[in-house]
Amino acid sequence: MNSGDAAGSSSGGSGDAGAPRRASRKPKYSKFTQQELPACKPILTPKWVISVFLLVGVIFVPIGVASLLASNKVVEIVDRYDDACVPSNVTNKLAYIQNSTISKTCRRTLKVPKDMKQPIFVYYQLNNFYQNHRRYVKSRNDQQLRDASKANETTLCDPEKTRDGMAIVPCGLIAWSTFNDTYTFQHNTNNLSIDKTDISWKSDRDHKFGSDVFPKNFQKGPLIGGKTLNESIPLSEQEDLIVWMRTAALPTFRKLYGRIYVDLKENDTITVTLDNNYNTYSFDGKKSLVLSTSTWLGGKNDFLGLAYLTVGGLCFFLAFAFTLLYLIKPRKLGDNNYLSWNRNSAGH
Amino acid sequence: MFTLITLYSTIIPISLYVSIEMIKFIQCAQFINNDLNMYHAESNTPALARTSNLNEELGQVEYIFSDKTGTLTRNLMEFFKCSIGGEIYGTGITEIEKGGAERAGVRIDDDEDKRSATAVHEKGFNFDDTRIMRGAWRNEPNPEACMEFFRCLAICHTVLPEGEETPEKITYQAASPDEAALVAAAKNFGFFFYRRTPTTVMVRESHVDRMGSMQDVAYEILNVLEFNSTRKRQSVVCRFPNGKLVLYCKGADNVIYERLADGNYDIKKTSREHLEQFGSAGLRTLCLAYRDLSMDQYKSWNEKFVQAKSSLRDRDKKLDEVAELIEKDLILIGCTAIEDKLQEGVPACIETLSAAGIKIWVLTGDKMETAINIAYACSLVNNDTKQFIISSETDTIREAEDRGDPVEIARVIKESVKQSLRSYLEEARRSLSNTPERKLAFIIDGRCLMYALDPALRVNLLGLSLICHSVVCCRVSPLQKAQVTSLVRKGARKITLSIGDGANDVSMIQAAHVGIGISGQEGMQAVMASDFAIAQFRYLTDLLLVHGRWSYLRLCKVITYFFYKNLTFTLTQFWFTFQTGFSGQRFYDDWFQSLYNVIFTALPVIMVGLFDKDVSASLSKKYPQLYQEGIRNTFFKWKVIAVWGFFAFYQSIVFYYFTAAASQHGHGSSGKILGQWDVSTMAFTCVVVTVNLRLLMSCNSITRWHYFSVAGSIAAWFLFIFIYSAIMTSFDRQENVYFVIYVLMSTFFFYLTLILVPVIALFGDFLYLSLQRWLFPYDYQVVQEMHKDDPHEYSMIRLPERSHLSPEEARSYAISMLPRENSKHTGFAFDSPGYESFFASQQGVCVPHKPWDVARRASMKQQRQQPQRTGRS
Repeated sequence: MNSGDAAGSSSGGSGDAGAPRRASRKPKYSKFTQQELPACKPILTPKWVISVFLLVGVIFVPIGVASLLASNKVVEIVDRYDDACVPSNVTNKLAYIQNSTISKTCRRTLKVPKDMKQPIFVYYQLNNFYQNHRRYVKSRNDQQLRDASKANETTLCDPEKTRDGMAIVPCGLIAWSTFNDTYTFQHNTNNLSIDKTDISWKSDRDHKFGSDVFPKNFQKGPLIGGKTLNESIPLSEQEDLIVWMRTAALPTFRKLYGRIYVDLKENDTITVTLDNNYNTYSFDGKKSLVLSTSTWLGGKNDFLGLAYLTVGGLCFFLAFAFTLLYLIKPRKLGDNNYLSWNRNSAGH
Repeated sequence: MFTLITLYSTIIPISLYVSIEMIKFIQCAQFINNDLNMYHAESNTPALARTSNLNEELGQVEYIFSDKTGTLTRNLMEFFKCSIGGEIYGTGITEIEKGGAERAGVRIDDDEDKRSATAVHEKGFNFDDTRIMRGAWRNEPNPEACMEFFRCLAICHTVLPEGEETPEKITYQAASPDEAALVAAAKNFGFFFYRRTPTTVMVRESHVDRMGSMQDVAYEILNVLEFNSTRKRQSVVCRFPNGKLVLYCKGADNVIYERLADGNYDIKKTSREHLEQFGSAGLRTLCLAYRDLSMDQYKSWNEKFVQAKSSLRDRDKKLDEVAELIEKDLILIGCTAIEDKLQEGVPACIETLSAAGIKIWVLTGDKMETAINIAYACSLVNNDTKQFIISSETDTIREAEDRGDPVEIARVIKESVKQSLRSYLEEARRSLSNTPERKLAFIIDGRCLMYALDPALRVNLLGLSLICHSVVCCRVSPLQKAQVTSLVRKGARKITLSIGDGANDVSMIQAAHVGIGISGQEGMQAVMASDFAIAQFRYLTDLLLVHGRWSYLRLCKVITYFFYKNLTFTLTQFWFTFQTGFSGQRFYDDWFQSLYNVIFTALPVIMVGLFDKDVSASLSKKYPQLYQEGIRNTFFKWKVIAVWGFFAFYQSIVFYYFTAAASQHGHGSSGKILGQWDVSTMAFTCVVVTVNLRLLMSCNSITRWHYFSVAGSIAAWFLFIFIYSAIMTSFDRQENVYFVIYVLMSTFFFYLTLILVPVIALFGDFLYLSLQRWLFPYDYQVVQEMHKDDPHEYSMIRLPERSHLSPEEARSYAISMLPRENSKHTGFAFDSPGYESFFASQQGVCVPHKPWDVARRASMKQQRQQPQRTGRS
């Protein structure tokens, strides 16, 4: 057996001698195949860690301060009215709100806490209203909204598809449940006019809702969900509907109602006359009226500023903490003794 | 409910599978197959990955099962050194000595052309020493001993010469390559054995009477006393032309020393020292001795010999007894050292692999002595190693064999195996707890292994083998090789690797997790059965320590990263569910969700899978211990996954709540309100940006491809959303996302959030990474730090440092590096000419030693030559 092996390897050797005759199978050199692509090798050394923290801190603190200042300039009045606008003698709120024969006009007085510069934005805020529920979100048909010729297109619109065999325009639950409380404002006995144009995003008006699509068979059922639409106005101009149909992400949301172009002084009182039509009582929803000014950042939003400030501050703190750590628990970079095999032998 | 569950389907992405397959394929096809470090120029063989799904297992191998012949060794025996009359001759340096020198920091040049003019290197002979070559031995202090030495080499053997009777063209047919090497050595020393007749050996002797003289001498061979594994020696009684009777004997040192005549203690002592030196250098040694016989002595002995030879019962035993009578009062001439030529770089490779925490088992069909010798030569075993040997060549077993009852033999062997296993196991445990740094080696032969693999003993066998640092199994059959492999594979639950070159290794290669075939040789069976084929054993270093380790690191990173990014993504959806009344509303548009894994986060992770390197290839080999991170599976533990999972959890909360808070207020000076799809688009933008940046943070080396892919992925998202939200199709999609991005980009809020959210999300990771690195650095991180200022690490690979020692200095340095301590190992290994089929012995069949009838072979020479010639041409 051994001699057999010897013969095998020696004839293998003769094969080697013949190698030059064959084409060389030597792999070609390239940086890719030899895995030698130039690369930077970031190592989180103390220097780097501290400078990153400092850098983030230096950037974030000013942004935080600016955001917080902007947010603090905003004056916001929030007035919850769903309970207050039901007469105290009514025990069954649901029956009250569903009874269309009762006038539900309600009067609220708001006090301006600080000077408010125009424009003042009027929002309504709903709580516990799941506009993001799957079946709710689905229940609309975009083609029907956009295109007059597709008026009969009511797929996905369950359960508000047709009325007496006729397609509802706009169909679906979302449109059906459009918010229908109305507000009028009085300031020092003067009526404040509310500008209800341009409260929706322009792209929605221009592209999602057709200018030749008119409401049809809308809110004709036994159960009225919300706002009725004027059938002579095209959908693209029904801005309340458009605003409503951009569904909110969370069950607590605000939607723009209109704008007031009047400056309000501190301690002014505003009287709001509102029609409390919208039924939030069946699901314990809350309704509030919000008046707010705005800055470059938008409405009152301390969160963003605070977050920036906190992170910035934390970074400074950590830069300091790491400096301390590196001083208290120093470790020579690339110290042999930290290699596990050296550590183990040192342990014995 | 079902809708709700389907929302979380993204947590197990199909793209994970696709990406990993792609990464593995490129790793194999581009990196392993094209690695110049694994290209063997002499056989024109590059490495070949025959399967692409074992890359990461290459980085976790803990047990290597290696064949010997053809894998560790070249099966070339070369006469390398000798000791004559107490003087060492031969200036060569073995691989193991080179290894020792290199460890001490000196590299030794052994370019062939730098050898001195007298050096001869041919098959079986690789020797250089001007003191005894070309007749120079005449001027040595002990020319007589030299002459006897050469004569012994030329006469005492069972070799047949073939071909033309000139020193250049003759070939020697020997049952073992050792014998051929010894005869070739004699030829080169000027004692050219050129013809054998049934009763004589013809030797052309040079320089005997005076320098340059040459004469043909016919030695009459009177008796040949066979080699067998019990006797461990071989003797020839010959009659010189002048009538002198001499017995030449060669054999294992201990056997010869027992039979030496009294006196000459100096030579015996120095020779023994030399034997030990050779042995620890991994050389195979034989002692040579002679005895002058008087006619009377011989005649009386020969009668007994003839009697024994013609006896019908127990002939072998009787022959052995008769041989004892004459093989005594020997005079020591010296000893030979034959190098069982290792494949290039094997000891260094094994050393590196052991340092990497890999345990190497040698499974060979060879004899125990040979196997132990190779273990020495490969630095698997050294003089400090405690050896546990279970051999079937013990007196009790031999006695049982003599009685001849197969059942009884089996019982005796089983009993002795059981006992030794138990006592060794205890001893090994004791040694492990008392002196943990002491290396242990376990050596067992195939016959005992057969009983040790018995289910009852298997546990002890496994326990002992796993404690020992190296295990040598000799005389094992291919089936046993596979059995041992699967014993460890199943018993230890560790990744195993088998490497072999021949058809008898196929079963072993298939039994291990990773099978490696040595390619570039004649046989292809091993390669065909293997997962990877490399040309040389030493390329294992590159394959495991570089490719395997990187692949492991990369795949760990890829998988944990995939886990992280999908968990993060899915958890944002999860938080949203709480605020939709569990209705199953999607947070993201369908297209976002579908393309998240396919486009927006696909490419960077593949780049990491291909290019990430913690330390360079040369450092991977310089610090083999780094490999242990793979063996311990450091980067894919529950702890690691939990850390990723925790940060995924944290980040998803940041993504969801920070962006969802936005929908509560009007944004921008127009006071308009963002809707659900605006929020989700913003959240998605933050997720894509953060997840891609997180990848950069976890990279050890960032090539420009990383930048391209990360920037490209983020850009792809913006490009996609710009187009996607600008078009309206009349198909069935809902136009929720129409114009969303433009609406978002019209607000300051969007930009502020886009800066804030990724920073806060990555804040935790950054903090963790900084603390982890400072307080509990991984080994690779320390190595990175040690070498962070190395300027040209790539050039280091190509230009290994060479010392500026001249070859002579280097050699003398290497010799000074030789082990000086006294050892028990003297390196005897000699493949017996009467080497019976080991398969027969495997099956428990005891093959009687057939007398090696040289005379008969010599007379058959003519017939034998014919077919062999045709076979060789």
